[in-house]
Amino acid sequence: MKLLVCLKQILDPDVPARDFQIDPAAKAARRGGANLVTNIFCENAVETALQFREAAGGDVKITALCYGESSAEDCLRKAMAMTVDEACLVERNGNTNPEAAAVGRVLAAAIRRLEQDGGPFDAVLVGRESGDWGVGQTGGLLAEELGRPALGFVESLQPGNGGVTLRRQTDVGIEVAEAEAPFLVTITNNEDNVPRIPKTRDVMMSYRKPLQKLSLADLELDSEEIRDGSSIFEVEEIFIPTDEVECELAEGDTLEERVDQLAKRIHEVVASIG
Amino acid sequence: MFRVGGTVPFMDPTQATREVFWNIEYTWLVYVLMVPTLAVFGWGFWLKIRRWRAGQPAIRFDRPAERLQLFLRNAVGQGRTIRSRYAGVFHTLVYTGFIVLFLATTVVAIHHDTPLHIMKGHFYLIFQSLIVDVFGLFVLVGVALAAIRRWISKPNLLVYTDEASWILVTIFVMALTGFMVEGWRIAVTDDPWAAWSPIGNLFALASDPLMSDAAMQTGHVVIWWFHLVVAFGFIAWVPFSKMSHVFTAPLNIFTANLDGYGGSLKTIDFETAERFGINHLGDFTWKDLLDFDACTECGRCTDVCPANTVGKSLSPRDIILDLQGLMHRQGDQFLLNGNGNGNGSGANGSDELLPIIDQKTAVSPEALFACTTCAACMEACPVHIEQMPKIIDARRYLVMEEADFPEGMMDMMNSLESRQHPFAGTQFSRVDWTEGLDIDVMAEMDDPHEAEVLMWVGCGGALVERNRNTVRATAKLLKKAGVKFAILGREESCTGDPARRVGNEFLFEMLAKGNVETMQRYGVRKVVTSCPHCFNSFRNEYPQFGGSYEVYHHTQFLDQLLESGRFDGHDAAGSSNGSSTITFHDPCYLGRHNGEYEAPRNLLAKVGGARQVEMQRSRNTSFCCGGGGGMAFVDEPPDQRVNQERAQEAVDTGADVVAVGCPFCATMLDDGVNARRGDRDVRVRDVAELLWDAVGESDQAAP
Repeated sequence: MKLLVCLKQILDPDVPARDFQIDPAAKAARRGGANLVTNIFCENAVETALQFREAAGGDVKITALCYGESSAEDCLRKAMAMTVDEACLVERNGNTNPEAAAVGRVLAAAIRRLEQDGGPFDAVLVGRESGDWGVGQTGGLLAEELGRPALGFVESLQPGNGGVTLRRQTDVGIEVAEAEAPFLVTITNNEDNVPRIPKTRDVMMSYRKPLQKLSLADLELDSEEIRDGSSIFEVEEIFIPTDEVECELAEGDTLEERVDQLAKRIHEVVASIG
Repeated sequence: MFRVGGTVPFMDPTQATREVFWNIEYTWLVYVLMVPTLAVFGWGFWLKIRRWRAGQPAIRFDRPAERLQLFLRNAVGQGRTIRSRYAGVFHTLVYTGFIVLFLATTVVAIHHDTPLHIMKGHFYLIFQSLIVDVFGLFVLVGVALAAIRRWISKPNLLVYTDEASWILVTIFVMALTGFMVEGWRIAVTDDPWAAWSPIGNLFALASDPLMSDAAMQTGHVVIWWFHLVVAFGFIAWVPFSKMSHVFTAPLNIFTANLDGYGGSLKTIDFETAERFGINHLGDFTWKDLLDFDACTECGRCTDVCPANTVGKSLSPRDIILDLQGLMHRQGDQFLLNGNGNGNGSGANGSDELLPIIDQKTAVSPEALFACTTCAACMEACPVHIEQMPKIIDARRYLVMEEADFPEGMMDMMNSLESRQHPFAGTQFSRVDWTEGLDIDVMAEMDDPHEAEVLMWVGCGGALVERNRNTVRATAKLLKKAGVKFAILGREESCTGDPARRVGNEFLFEMLAKGNVETMQRYGVRKVVTSCPHCFNSFRNEYPQFGGSYEVYHHTQFLDQLLESGRFDGHDAAGSSNGSSTITFHDPCYLGRHNGEYEAPRNLLAKVGGARQVEMQRSRNTSFCCGGGGGMAFVDEPPDQRVNQERAQEAVDTGADVVAVGCPFCATMLDDGVNARRGDRDVRVRDVAELLWDAVGESDQAAP
């Protein structure tokens, strides 16, 4: 079996509030002192794939694919340290368009290229959403591009009778599904797919493993297809919300007076909010 | 008492002596029996030495002068053994007794088997009779005291083995039968010098009315041979029992680590190492293996272990003893597989080398990950066994080869890897604390070399709310004293201490190399830090990665500034600490690991007339706050919290201020004191905060 896991590199969502900056001109977060990390749901997806391989008993090959800046190589190296078999980076070269449809198109083209060389992927695993924009649509749009059936919010993959048994989180509980290849799933987190810490030897080995790099030109995508420089939506404004606290003390000489005053003010405030 | 001088009216003391082998025939048998005795003795030690030699190399015979000094102090002089009063007393009695009795036997041998007849005259009377008798009595008393402890008072720290009891019985029997044969000889021969052998004489006086001369003479022969057989048996048994410590302990002390506990961890060559960390005995150095054989089972390490004290499964004593047992059990298999291929090459499973990490023994992952690396065990060990580095070796295996460790440590390492600090989820950046202080950041200076001192803030200082006031106070004090200093700001990374202590040497090395590179870029030569863990890394560990600096803990540096009068005119006036009582908690990595106990106390003595009280466990016997070794990042079970144990001790001193010199101690003890202070107002403050209160507040009053 062959699995493919898509990864995204994002600004560290754990950056201290005071270190988080916005570039008002670009209408995007500024890197500042923040680190770049692998999106957590993508790491959950890697872990889920690894656990599937372990459960299936070895005859499973996992490829990690990332569309990002050259710095995203770190994410792929870490995936390889977690013992993913192969990794491929599609270099983004400054195109920062976050639009999921464009990203889906790039990923689909890269997957088709990888399938040309190494045969079809039975399952494609995508993180539920990313920790930066949180749009949560890449998985579905990628499935559309690939013409695969897709299931969202999956938390585990197990070898099943002839296919794969999936557990997915729904509003009413866990749904268990049987899937036949090829398919795509978006992965959410649960307590069992916390990304593992790689063994040191695997960390060292990850830097010696080959890492395939593709450019958008290699994938023969024109700028129209990936909407370079344009988007179907526009970021109008981006800002850091501020907490403003106004404190007012109910006045009065006696407790009764203060309670009355308080009740009066509550009425006024509620009325003003409408 | 009539015997003294009773039969000989005049005695010439210069002619005093006694007949060797009086009443004994077939004396050649002694020499015949000696051959197998010494053969077994030698074979036993040869087996041991062969096992040690199967270990990895270690340089432990360098710096002979320092080693000799340590040997004289702690082996010959029993420097550490006598720290424990009761055990110190009885061990000294038996130890000195053994030496004197051994010398006495040597004197007999020289007298009898060489032309030098030295056993006569005043030497015979004073040494060979009186002193030997007194020291023989020491042995009896010492063994009796040990027996009372082992069989009656039964403290927890001992290991109750039959072997240990038999050793006491055997030594007691040897000494007692020695006095019996001496007594009967005196009685039967009417020894004119009997008074010089008071104990033997006492025995003679007691026997005389009860036994005939003939009976005493027969008893003498029987007991004499019995004494000899027991003694020879004992000698042959030495290498196979814990009595081998008579030789292994002095050797272990001579080959001890001379560099302090702070520099006791080995580096790993990641390019060539076959395995990271240790899970097989053959990967230990010969000195580690010698450590196992040097253990006397005294239990002091476990007795002082903070994790053990609060009820966790960690017991350094049992780790050493279980590994010793494993080493002895594996015997030759260990030798064959010892070097390099620890997976064992045996044809069947039973021949394979057993892993040292084993859930069923004291070397369980749970126990290994309870260690705070405080080194109390190493400081308590009378024979300088190095327990903590072995725990780290095993942790390294678990962390780097198995990726198996507690959850809190995982979050910490993840954070170190992606954010270069261990505090996942901190709300602060590395420079937030500088707000309003106007502190130079090296990267922003025109000439970073203008800064004479790098103030190394440390993650624990910059990123933990509680400690930001400490680093602010330190910076303000440095400014006040006119020190030209700067910080690295966002370029600072964790020194790697937490990674190294939990066993992630790879991560430590990456962080260390990164920091050395950054500091090299700015030509840093002098470093001041308020974190003893950073201090220890810089002082003892960074030189291995090419980073050698003049390193000061902030208390040391501030103490120097204070001594040189840089805070003059502000000294303690108007201090808010005027009426308080302060107790200082020694951070392990400042005190035990690096030997600095005075600087913080000197500073506190200057803090506004505050009275200093000491906790029961202080200085080199200080009790860890519970935060070292990565434990600050692990949730301890509510009933097994080291910090509360320590906080209780601090609260019990009656002090209203618990002074600390470490950001980890500060947070651990803050939590602990809040849980244990009851209704009293007890606060945890860093020494720098207190000093700033004393010399800084008066500054505001000044024009």
